[in-house]
Amino acid sequence: MRNLRRLKSWEGLLLAILVVVVVNNAVQSPVYLSVENQVNLFQLFVERIIVALAMTFIIINGEIDLSVASVMGLASCLLAFLHEQSVPMPAAIVVTLTVGVIVGAFNGFWISVVGLPSLAVTLAGLIGYRGVARILVEDRSIGNFPEWFNRLGQQPLLDPLPLASIIFFILLVVAVVVLQYSAFGRYVYVIGNNREVARYSGVKVRRVKMMLFIASSTIATLAGLLLAARLGAVRGSTAEGFELDIITMVLLGGVSIFGGSGTLVGVGLSILLVLNLRNGMSLVNITSNTQTGVIGALLILSVLIPNWTQDARSLLSRRRRTGHTPVTGEEKGG
Amino acid sequence: MATNSRKPVLEIRSISKRFDTTQALDDVSLDLYPGEIHALLGENGAGKSTLIKIMTGVHPPDQGEILLDSKPIRISNTVEAQGYGIAAIYQEPMIFPDLTVAENIFISHRDQGAILRWGKMYRDAEAILAKLDVHLDVRQPARGLTLAAQQAVEIAKAISLKVRVLIMDEPTASLSAHEVTQLFKLAAALREQGVAILFISHRMEEVFEIADRVTVLRDGKKISSKPRAEVTPEGAIRDMVGRKVEEFFAKSQARRGDLLLSVRGLGKDGVFSDIGFDVFRGEVLGFAGLVGSRRTDVGLALFGVEPADAGEITFNGKLIRLHSPDQALQIGIAYATEDRRALGLTMPMSIAANISLPMLREYLSSLGLIRRTAEESAAERFRERLAIRAPSVRVEVARLSGGNQQKVMLSKWLNARPRLLVLDEPTRGIDVSAKAEVHHMINDLAAQGLGIILISSDLPEIVAMSDRILVMREGRQMGLFTRAEATQEKILTAAMGQNSGAGGNH
Amino acid sequence: METLKRYLRPEQIRELSLVFLIVVTLIFFGTQIEGYFSGRTFNRITTTVAIIAVVAVGETLVILTRNYDLSVGSIVGFTAYFVGTQLANNNGIAPLAAVLLAVGVGAMMGLINGVLVSYGRVPSIIVTLGTLAIYRALLVNYSGAKTVTTDSLPQWLLDLARANLFKIGELDFRLMVGVALALVVIFQLVITYLPFGRRLYAIGSNPEAARIAGFPTQRIVTTAYVLCGMLSGLAGFMFLARFGNITVVAAQGMELSAIAAVVVGGVNVFGGSGTMIGALLGALMINTLEQSLIRWLQISEFWRDALLGLLILLAVATDAVIINRLRNLWARSGLQARPATETPGVQVLEEAGHDA
Repeated sequence: MRNLRRLKSWEGLLLAILVVVVVNNAVQSPVYLSVENQVNLFQLFVERIIVALAMTFIIINGEIDLSVASVMGLASCLLAFLHEQSVPMPAAIVVTLTVGVIVGAFNGFWISVVGLPSLAVTLAGLIGYRGVARILVEDRSIGNFPEWFNRLGQQPLLDPLPLASIIFFILLVVAVVVLQYSAFGRYVYVIGNNREVARYSGVKVRRVKMMLFIASSTIATLAGLLLAARLGAVRGSTAEGFELDIITMVLLGGVSIFGGSGTLVGVGLSILLVLNLRNGMSLVNITSNTQTGVIGALLILSVLIPNWTQDARSLLSRRRRTGHTPVTGEEKGG
Repeated sequence: MATNSRKPVLEIRSISKRFDTTQALDDVSLDLYPGEIHALLGENGAGKSTLIKIMTGVHPPDQGEILLDSKPIRISNTVEAQGYGIAAIYQEPMIFPDLTVAENIFISHRDQGAILRWGKMYRDAEAILAKLDVHLDVRQPARGLTLAAQQAVEIAKAISLKVRVLIMDEPTASLSAHEVTQLFKLAAALREQGVAILFISHRMEEVFEIADRVTVLRDGKKISSKPRAEVTPEGAIRDMVGRKVEEFFAKSQARRGDLLLSVRGLGKDGVFSDIGFDVFRGEVLGFAGLVGSRRTDVGLALFGVEPADAGEITFNGKLIRLHSPDQALQIGIAYATEDRRALGLTMPMSIAANISLPMLREYLSSLGLIRRTAEESAAERFRERLAIRAPSVRVEVARLSGGNQQKVMLSKWLNARPRLLVLDEPTRGIDVSAKAEVHHMINDLAAQGLGIILISSDLPEIVAMSDRILVMREGRQMGLFTRAEATQEKILTAAMGQNSGAGGNH
Repeated sequence: METLKRYLRPEQIRELSLVFLIVVTLIFFGTQIEGYFSGRTFNRITTTVAIIAVVAVGETLVILTRNYDLSVGSIVGFTAYFVGTQLANNNGIAPLAAVLLAVGVGAMMGLINGVLVSYGRVPSIIVTLGTLAIYRALLVNYSGAKTVTTDSLPQWLLDLARANLFKIGELDFRLMVGVALALVVIFQLVITYLPFGRRLYAIGSNPEAARIAGFPTQRIVTTAYVLCGMLSGLAGFMFLARFGNITVVAAQGMELSAIAAVVVGGVNVFGGSGTMIGALLGALMINTLEQSLIRWLQISEFWRDALLGLLILLAVATDAVIINRLRNLWARSGLQARPATETPGVQVLEEAGHDA
């Protein structure tokens, strides 16, 4: 229950900040709250927030996947490469998705079967998969996708939402159901809280982890395809640095980096917050690089502030209990 | 040994300490004399570890004072304690696996100078170890050392820091009998050098082997403090428990059913070997031995967590190979771990979620979603049956007391409807009334036809609860006693082996 | 075997095998590529390695404590740009002042990292992922997206890149290479002979035991980050001297090369073991392989990152497998020891309740 209370207050905080940001933006620009603008806003980040859904599962499970942005880039570049080699688009899409599954299984193998730390493996993946993307595309920009492909990526499918946004909402519902209401979701939490307890309770830990990493890379691949469709052209640097936004959205949403806790409601709120914040910054002509810097600061704060409040809370309760303030150097405990 | 003309090196005067609503220590006083081994006895919750934390500067006392050489001192942190010559070694040695043995010994030194002299460090380390008659390669990384060797390194570290008061907190809990003997040799060597040793242990036989003085704590109060010659094991137990030994719950007569589990020649490289026994429906087979005799490892092998390398396991007449916990569960074997915090329960989750976890498959709807109401009513049944004290089954288990947490963990395994249940130290760290409830439950389960393996370091408990008792020592099987022929002495003798230091793995 | 085990720690075996691999690589490519053993190849490899090695030394200090620093690339880029701009605006700044400026700025950036990680208790991956973005944003803002150009810089700076310590036949031993080597040696001595250095190992090996032993853990980790920042600052200065033209994407991604060098060089990602010499060898190995592959297969530099990723994976996997083998070996010779805390990331052991 303590976790729930803490989470509720975190989500409350996010909501409050969100309201402030939206109001501020609306004041700055009268057209801000229009449907068109909001949909546009959404579209710019939709690929990232799709991946954030998968990342939520991974981090709650106590792992991390630093390679997602590189996999997105790899997917976009592979698709473009195949298309350039005159492979029919539908086939190219299928091949790319398959490669995405294989990449996920590759990551999953080293992490769940061999037992290497996910940080190191996905760091290697971050570098490696980006490298493969560069090999395929070199320093060119490849585009010229079929018209139907670009239309799917840029035009609304079900007014006013384009395909990518629809996919996001579908995946959001699926994610919520799986995480909160299914056995798999519970296993994800338990493993993240304590891997050994899960194992001793008969949970198939390795299988869960393998499935998570396959899902992560596959969803990243899907996002990469959607990105290619929306942009109309890809480069070797497509999706570079996206992992910062993605991880920030998850951690800012109250998901603990240590695993075992967090909800999609919180992540949903933080997604809205990050989106509106970025948009607000664009409105006052803050460059994308600076925006990224602000997101970086948010990332740090999303862990720093809970630490501080936890310290303050235990300090207060200790003072209440024993009537004296503990000296520095004393252990946390009691 | 004890002479009255000596002055105590450390005096603990009227120390009290309160945490939340628990009075962990209440007006406790004791004296530590140089060259004397002072044993501290007490059940879990008696206040032993709180006292240690105060002595090593982890917590300040609420009231009372500590005197070193008759002068009052304030210990604000572990570094200051070290400066006063007070050091502690624990069950789990705090060593640095990547650093060499020599470096581990000297790492805490403040006065190492600006530049480390490796040659000197190796030589000094060898000198200290030689004094203790311990043979270790000081250049090897500490990672490869056995637990006993790591403890020897910690003792060497304490000596290098010119320790005057050494606290040993359950140091033998994970050692083999042979290693315990080695440790006692070290303790004796320290005693020769005038170190005062505070020795905390649950093991009565150990206490009576090496202690010069015995103090008993119960519920935070000091009950007695006498020279060893004036103390008897029964008297000490009485002081610890507050009631007579015979009041332990005794198991009702077993109605033995069919053969459930048959184990022959079970072995695991470097851990245990040649274990063989049978378990029948309706009976409780006790596993006795000093902690560290590798009984837990046999249990883990039966549950598929750490499968055995050799031997045969026959369950319900079928030969089986156990390789994972979920497989063991499907076959009908469940294992309740001895460490409920680290291995048994998911603390932030509710009672209901914890109980259903191994059998979550059974609580899924046709769409694969969890049926919370079914889960909760199952948990409710256990709440009633085991008298788990909690406002509802939705409460997170972290908020429950130790005894109730243990009950939740047991419920979890009972819910798995096992045919064979392995209980590893089921009453460790819980209060007396909860203990009794657990014993009742074990009795009921046996009566219902389960086969139970009870691993326990609590001799009276094992003698009272078991139909038959298997004794292990250092990974080997030392004997199998029926209820009629089992006495605490016979079991203890078997558990410690006839010749100390003979044979066995090193 | 016993004497070998006595004097050769696993780390040294790793380093020796790296040297062996480098030699094998050189010999192999020497047979495949014409004119391979030339002054040009030597120069190219050594000057590239020099800058990465300096960063790798700093990164090693941090990784030893079981932390990471992903922001070094941004620090290098920022200091290169910042100092470059100062020099461009005022050619009269003394060389020493310029170096100190670079090092000082790097120190401050490292300090921020260190404080957040050790006092803020924010995991280092999070902190340095964030500062990677923040420092790069700082660079972009400060620069106004302009480029520092070679012709605006003082001559002594540009000469510095080509300055030689000495020459053997065709092989130039550049000053920068000498500086890099000196730093490797100095910091190798630090981590071997200074108490501060040994405590880095202790903290990475068992953070809980380090805390209980009373080490000023927070101060030590912060110092490691400050030193890493300083070294990155120095590398930024070297970067400026070598390239002259500094854009806003300067040194972007360098952190990945540095970590790759360190990991391949045998520094354990869990902390607690590894050496500077290993890091240097790792940088040498990677660079030699990279440069040689490019010339051999006539493949583009775009293969670089793919190769890097693969090498990191191999290094981490090999280390993990070897450590497991070693542990089994020791376990077989006695009862299995329970390993000390090994879980990375979670550094605070929950204190047991008041049982007993």
